[in-house]
Amino acid sequence: MHHYYISLLIFIPLLAAVAGLFVPAGAAKYFRYSTLFVNLLQCMVLIAMVMEYIPAQGMQLVERKDWITLNIGTWGILKAEYFVGIDGLSLPLVALSVFVLLIATISSWTINKNVKGYFILLLILNAAIIGSFTALDFLLFYLFFEFMLLPMFFLIAIWGGARREYASIKFFLYTLLGSIFILIVMIGLYISVHDPNYSGQLVHSFSVLNMADASNFISHTILDPNNAWTIGPMNARLWAFLLLFIGFAIKLPMVPVHTWLPDAHVEAPTPVSVILAALLLKIGGYGLARIAFPIFPEAAIHFSTFIGIMGVISIIYGGLNAMASKDLKRLIAYSSVSHMGFVLLGFASLTPEGVAGSVYQMFSHGIISAMLFLLVGVLYDRTHDRTIVNYSGLSSKMKSYTALVLVGFFASMGLPAFSGFIAEIMIFLGAFKANSVNGLLHESLAIIATLGLILGAAYYLWTLQRMFFGPYDLKGNIAHDSIYDLTDREYLMLVPLAIAVLFFGIFPQPMINIIDPFAQNFSEFVLRAGKSLTLNP
Amino acid sequence: MPETQTHYTTFFEVCLLLVVLLPLVSFVVSGRIPQRYSWVVTFTAPLFLLISAIGAIYIFTAVWHHQPYIARVNWFTIGGTLVSAGVYLNDIAALMLLVVTFISFLVHLYSTGYMAGDAGLTRYFAMLGFFTFSMLGIVLADSLLLMFVFWELVGFSSYMLIGHWTEKDEAAAAAKKAFLLNRIGDAGFLVGLMLIWAYTGTFDIVQLSDINEVFSWQTAASLCLFAGVIGKSAQFPLLTWLPDAMEGPTPVSALIHAATMVAAGVFLLARVYFLFTPAALDVIAGIGILTALMAALSALVQFDIKKILAYSTISQLGLMVAAIGAGAPAAAILHLFTHAFFKAGLFLGAGIIIHVLHQAQQQAHEHFNVQDIRNLGGLRKKLPFTFCAFVICGCALAGIPFFSGFLSKDAILTAITHWKGDGFSWKWIVLASAFIVSFLTVIYTFRMIWTVFMGEEKRTASLPVVEPPVIMRGPVAILAVCSVWLLVDINPVNFEGWLFNTLHADGNFHIGIISIVSALWVILAVSVAYFMFRSKTIHDDLLLNNFYLDKLYFKIVENPSWRLAVFTDYFDRRWIDGFIHASAYAQVTVSHLVGWFDRAIVDGTVNGIASLSRGVGNFTRSFQGGKIQSYILWAILAIIIFLIWILF
Repeated sequence: MHHYYISLLIFIPLLAAVAGLFVPAGAAKYFRYSTLFVNLLQCMVLIAMVMEYIPAQGMQLVERKDWITLNIGTWGILKAEYFVGIDGLSLPLVALSVFVLLIATISSWTINKNVKGYFILLLILNAAIIGSFTALDFLLFYLFFEFMLLPMFFLIAIWGGARREYASIKFFLYTLLGSIFILIVMIGLYISVHDPNYSGQLVHSFSVLNMADASNFISHTILDPNNAWTIGPMNARLWAFLLLFIGFAIKLPMVPVHTWLPDAHVEAPTPVSVILAALLLKIGGYGLARIAFPIFPEAAIHFSTFIGIMGVISIIYGGLNAMASKDLKRLIAYSSVSHMGFVLLGFASLTPEGVAGSVYQMFSHGIISAMLFLLVGVLYDRTHDRTIVNYSGLSSKMKSYTALVLVGFFASMGLPAFSGFIAEIMIFLGAFKANSVNGLLHESLAIIATLGLILGAAYYLWTLQRMFFGPYDLKGNIAHDSIYDLTDREYLMLVPLAIAVLFFGIFPQPMINIIDPFAQNFSEFVLRAGKSLTLNP
Repeated sequence: MPETQTHYTTFFEVCLLLVVLLPLVSFVVSGRIPQRYSWVVTFTAPLFLLISAIGAIYIFTAVWHHQPYIARVNWFTIGGTLVSAGVYLNDIAALMLLVVTFISFLVHLYSTGYMAGDAGLTRYFAMLGFFTFSMLGIVLADSLLLMFVFWELVGFSSYMLIGHWTEKDEAAAAAKKAFLLNRIGDAGFLVGLMLIWAYTGTFDIVQLSDINEVFSWQTAASLCLFAGVIGKSAQFPLLTWLPDAMEGPTPVSALIHAATMVAAGVFLLARVYFLFTPAALDVIAGIGILTALMAALSALVQFDIKKILAYSTISQLGLMVAAIGAGAPAAAILHLFTHAFFKAGLFLGAGIIIHVLHQAQQQAHEHFNVQDIRNLGGLRKKLPFTFCAFVICGCALAGIPFFSGFLSKDAILTAITHWKGDGFSWKWIVLASAFIVSFLTVIYTFRMIWTVFMGEEKRTASLPVVEPPVIMRGPVAILAVCSVWLLVDINPVNFEGWLFNTLHADGNFHIGIISIVSALWVILAVSVAYFMFRSKTIHDDLLLNNFYLDKLYFKIVENPSWRLAVFTDYFDRRWIDGFIHASAYAQVTVSHLVGWFDRAIVDGTVNGIASLSRGVGNFTRSFQGGKIQSYILWAILAIIIFLIWILF
């Protein structure tokens, strides 16, 4: 039985982008509606895919085609495949992507500058994101991963705010640095791994699944688990893991490699911010769980305390920075740093609770941050000012807006009944339990991480107090007539997100059913494989 | 456990569902009513709550003194372990169910008068409904996780209701403070949940109560849960939010910040009492009595009528917590029960004073702070009904015999006396403090009532003050009636009535000499109050500012964290971005150097060679200018040179 669900998801937007090239730039309406149509089509494919999905089955809906096969003489055969599939890790993220990209398209209605270029880039980005979340061949993954960078760079650099060039170049350089680290490891892995299906000849494989099996490493190669090279003070496999970790941590982003995020967010137009926060950050966490942890399980165990500590630092540092932010969008960007720290903490715990919590957190943060950035965009569209202290008492003029801001803020600070709570409680329980179950993280990490909850309440409530409560007043150059409540289009994009946040906070089980088998297998696999590989320092 | 369920019919389950969900329905309905028809909400919301309260009476009679009712549905799995959401309805829960719905109904009714004409009427009733729903959630939850969920949700509704008058800066600040301090306590609660999960793998209260041994982690876990109680029940050191929370509408103060939500902490302690180790209980007793003492002292000198009541609430909650610590949850619950009525009565009574004086002020175009008791006096003549109700509820608070407060306080004092044992230990200090607290309670209650109602009228003299509509007087009257001894037992000196005996089945202490001692003690206190404090006002800045706890917290927590936040911002910009800019700058510099090398050396060499050959070329080319004369010249020159060479 052949499935083409994933290919459909990836190639529909690409085809639409190619078709768009032949449409005159003046037809702004065409681009808006065709992108929306693509998103709706993807939604339908997604629904069909979810119906087909069997949670207990692991990797499924796999499509595998030969892509590049090159005979390079004594170096063996280079083989890269078009190899995609989904499991409990990627399905939530693919679903999130389809949903958020739809909302982002609705939010893009207000873009009036070079509409053709904008929507074509958006479609390319769409394909690249879904491709990254489904690719199982490292080369293919890397291709999609890099492919995201380009449209993102232009979307910020052309449609961004005042300091857009600085922000876009910073974003580009940071991410490029991460990409280079990942590329180095990819080459090392390519040299070290062969495809077990070809017994007669040496076939180098890029398949992530092959790489995750220690028996597929060619002995005495650089990353051979049984006999890895030693580079400086450490085993080459530890180096490789660290490089991958930094590469993905930049995307996540983790403190201290996070400073591209606030700038990129502040300068990016609203829909791009939404995609950036809701989807691009998740690729960091996804890469850790899909590539870094399974391929180098012993290194993951070796560095788990380090990762956990970095997670906790991100949680608290991001929270503190959010508190000091004067720009509303910057505040929310830093709160993202804080929330993504939980993802690190959960993965580092290597308990089913923690891992499931991390995946849930990625999903939930995707919805919540999309909502928060849209909310900021609503205000920015009206006044072109995001300075927190320039507003006061908005609740009296924008009642519905305030209500949705309350939903967004309280969801983000992890109030029960919103999806963030479920994710965070699982991560807390997992991280705390880790020491007694597998001896990886100290209990104090989870306890210190609870400070993040208090900080979250502090900066959000303080913002509410300053901007929405108190007597109505506007400072700066904001015109009073620019303040009005939500329009129908804004309702259309905000209300579904609010409903989703509530639904996954009250009824988490449908999503957990999908995540749990993955979380169980993942934590079990990494622990078992990691402990079986001896580390020679 | 199928056999325990046989007692309960489908009708019972439907009733329970109605009791719990009607407040939620009220929330949704109130939230959806458009602004123009906001008056509709004043009919629907109290009606929903009335049905809910009637249902609660039925539930209570069905459950009280019977097997607990347990029902659960699967909620979600955490790491493969199923966490259920369900109802665990035992005696305490049934009692709380009754109290919450009943008082919530009265407050709804009262609010229709108090909040009439308010711009945010629908929001107000919506949040009131949501609060009631969340509170019932705490009461019924069968697992600690579910309880934590509702625990935070009542915090949220409390936030919304304290900040109801959004245009008031103080209200927004107070709401934020309340939520934040609660969050700090909740972080402790969360750590407690982690401990329990790590060691038992379940949150289910029934399953947890099956643990027979005492483990060392239980001390840590129970103290962490107690941290949540410290936040919610405003115990030391997180007690400062409750006086500020008085910025909210007065009915809200009555319902949330006196009768129900702040008592949720005491309820939690009683609910998971089995988890607590003796060491943890000692800490709880200590903190409870310290809170009671501090708040009672602060209540002595406050001028704002609502703040007096707020501090008194903290003090009474401290007594309840101390009673739990002293191993007598039944006594604590008894006091919680009686306190809910008389304190709600006092708050609603204070609300009447505030409400009618405000209206009178508007008619007379006069403005002064009606909550400041220094502006009030002699109101017994203009507000005789309120005066009577206030005195009755006040007597209950002060613990005068024949009122409900006397009996419940008696139970607590008896419990602490029993707990302190025979030998001399620090527990005697707790007992002595409890007596001091009950003495102080009499004094501040007397001072409040005397200043407001007795003597001559002060600034209110010229105001046309009239009693409020019956919709507001009714609830106060009911609460006043519920403040007499009959609530507890037919015998006015016996606290071991229907309630206490049910909850205290394994009774290890009984009524004794303490009842007489405390009755005499209270009479002494009343006379001291009458003769010494009638005409005197005590002024003390330390107590007025609640031991400067706010300032202290500002100095040691708020300010440093703000500085740290600013520092992280600076660190990001100066060091991390600075590093990035420096490396970018370094790279640009290197690029320039390389560029210079390219231009000057590489290109220079190439250009040099090029210009050399061009020079040579030009030189040789210059010979071939196409001018006949120069050709002839060069030819002649060449011939001459040639001749010279040949000839010489």
